[in-house]
Amino acid sequence: MSTTRHTITALVQNEAGTLNRLVSMFRRRGFSLASLNAGDCEQPGFSRLTLVVTGDDDTLHQVVGQIEKLIDVVEVDDVRPEAAVLRELAVIQVAATVEQRREVIEIVNVFGGKVPHLSHSGMTVELTDEPLRIDRKSVV
Amino acid sequence: MEALAREGVETIFGYPGGVVLPLYDEMLRWPQVRHVLVRHEQCAAHMADGYARATGKTGVCLATSGPGATNLVTGIANAMMDSVPMVAITGQVNTWGIGKDAFQETDIQGITIPITKHNYLVTDIDDLPHALAEAFYLARTGRMGPVLVDIPKDVFLARTDRPFPEQITRRGYFVPGMPEPSAIAQAAAMLAEAERPVVIAGAGVVWSGASDDLRALAEKTDVPIINSLLGLGTIDRDDPRSLGMMGMHGEVAATRAVQEADLVIGIGIRFDDRLTGKTEGFAPRAKIVHFDIDRTEFGKCVPTMCRVLGDLRHSLRAFVAAVTSRRNPQWWERIRSWQAAHPLCVPEHGFLSRHVLHALNEVTHGEAIVATDVGQHQMWTAQFYRFRRPNQWLSSGGLGTMGFGLPAALGAKFACPDREVWAVVGDGGFQMTLQELQVAAEHRVNVKIALLNNGYLGMVRQWQELFYENRHSHVAMGNPDYAKLAEAYGVGFFRCTRREDLAETLRQAREYPGPVLCEFVVEMEENVYPMVAAGMSNDNIVYDPDATASVTVEARR
Repeated sequence: MSTTRHTITALVQNEAGTLNRLVSMFRRRGFSLASLNAGDCEQPGFSRLTLVVTGDDDTLHQVVGQIEKLIDVVEVDDVRPEAAVLRELAVIQVAATVEQRREVIEIVNVFGGKVPHLSHSGMTVELTDEPLRIDRKSVV
Repeated sequence: MEALAREGVETIFGYPGGVVLPLYDEMLRWPQVRHVLVRHEQCAAHMADGYARATGKTGVCLATSGPGATNLVTGIANAMMDSVPMVAITGQVNTWGIGKDAFQETDIQGITIPITKHNYLVTDIDDLPHALAEAFYLARTGRMGPVLVDIPKDVFLARTDRPFPEQITRRGYFVPGMPEPSAIAQAAAMLAEAERPVVIAGAGVVWSGASDDLRALAEKTDVPIINSLLGLGTIDRDDPRSLGMMGMHGEVAATRAVQEADLVIGIGIRFDDRLTGKTEGFAPRAKIVHFDIDRTEFGKCVPTMCRVLGDLRHSLRAFVAAVTSRRNPQWWERIRSWQAAHPLCVPEHGFLSRHVLHALNEVTHGEAIVATDVGQHQMWTAQFYRFRRPNQWLSSGGLGTMGFGLPAALGAKFACPDREVWAVVGDGGFQMTLQELQVAAEHRVNVKIALLNNGYLGMVRQWQELFYENRHSHVAMGNPDYAKLAEAYGVGFFRCTRREDLAETLRQAREYPGPVLCEFVVEMEENVYPMVAAGMSNDNIVYDPDATASVTVEARR
């Protein structure tokens, strides 16, 4: 069975131990967690988690079920790839002299990026796009 | 204490210590809740567990912070593996001491995350009524399990006007109830098409109180009912459609029926490795239907074609109504031939554990509550004790906890003083928790202990014999003089060393008015058969070598 990457979102009650419980479950059952993002959300007392998980279909089915089974978890959504909007944010420090700045800014503009910070020795570049495209741009 | 009284808790099992002093002081004002002072916190959890298994109610145990709490861990893990409803209350250091490595501080919430259904650290007294009420609610709803509430000392001392909630609702906590009619219809259609169907019924049937519906299913459809270890008692073992336990040490006919079946209906089981053997070889000709209350059990270990999510009380009733009545004479003919060819056997020679358990079943007519430790004696009890109904069989199935038997039997006897309660233990496990004899003596708890003393960790020795070329490594057990031990604790004692004395020993033990330790000095090297070696397919049953010798057949009645 093929291994795929899935993005799973979860709404959880924000209690002592909530995140611990979730991560503990992943470790205990040997599920692989590629990334985990947690933060407060629009509902007070609740947090929203975004997890990226790899595994075959059976494993992902178990992962979603086991997350749902945690008492703190209010809802779980296994986001289908075609319905998902994925964005990666890259913040890159570029060493650039004052003379090189214009050249860098031109490249950044081509990709719709921003320059939130400048200093004498360099600049900070901000790019947002789909994860794969960010990888390619970073190479440029 | 008010929370406990509100939940109808009559008995709690605990051990005091520094930070739970306020609770113990308050306890004096609540005579309606009996507190049993154990001699080790692990046994508080096991007694609460035995209490729960014998009654179906939630067991409660109590310990102080630090070592008191960590001593509960084995008992909580045991309850988790077997989905036993339990609330464990632990004391914690004062809220301002948490995180400062205060005396007897330990992160029991963190420690028990993987072994509880849910747990709490209550740092505000206003949250306590809700947390306690919710803990009981979570422990006994859905798939049951242990819930731990950790309470700091200053929270015990504080007061609140916050009322207990009348009703618990928790967002995202879903308690399965009625099954999907389409799933029931699919399962019924699969059964109608099957020629060689079997049911494997497990402890889920016990906890859902669905054994009457299971029997109704057996009667209506004539399907053989096989049990997992913990499912024993969900159907009367003397019911003609009961085949007993299957799996690693299951009866040949039961294990083989599953291998030959074209439909396996798993009801309240989790298809664990001791039951299935190597999963690739499990029930190779069968489609699998799975009834359970926990959807994460579906497809976890074996692929299933039809999944029926719901409380088994509802699911089984709906299933019985949906299936068409049938008889399976050809299928039964084959099963009966396996039963006839491979009965459980009680050899005529020597003095064996099997003689003791066979006799225990005979004299108690399969009516006693029986608790065990883990190992050979546990398997022989499962094979030879013919359990009649649910809540009779208290055994550590999932975790396999040695030392469980005596405290579980005590917990059961506290709950059911009018029932005959036996603890069947080995000399290994008994030495792990025998300090609880003091509890038996102090409360005159009329528990009978059958100690099968073979001077070994028998199951470990059996594996060393079979898989390690009989190299015995640290498996011989020295034993104390149990007569003196019983005398020291003030419990009755009988020793039996010959088969001829067995009946008389059991008679005297049963008539003795109080707790009794019966030591049966049995042969040292007896093995449990049938056996499927770990990691092998259930097709590879090793038969009992004694079966070819002259045997007394454990015939179907």
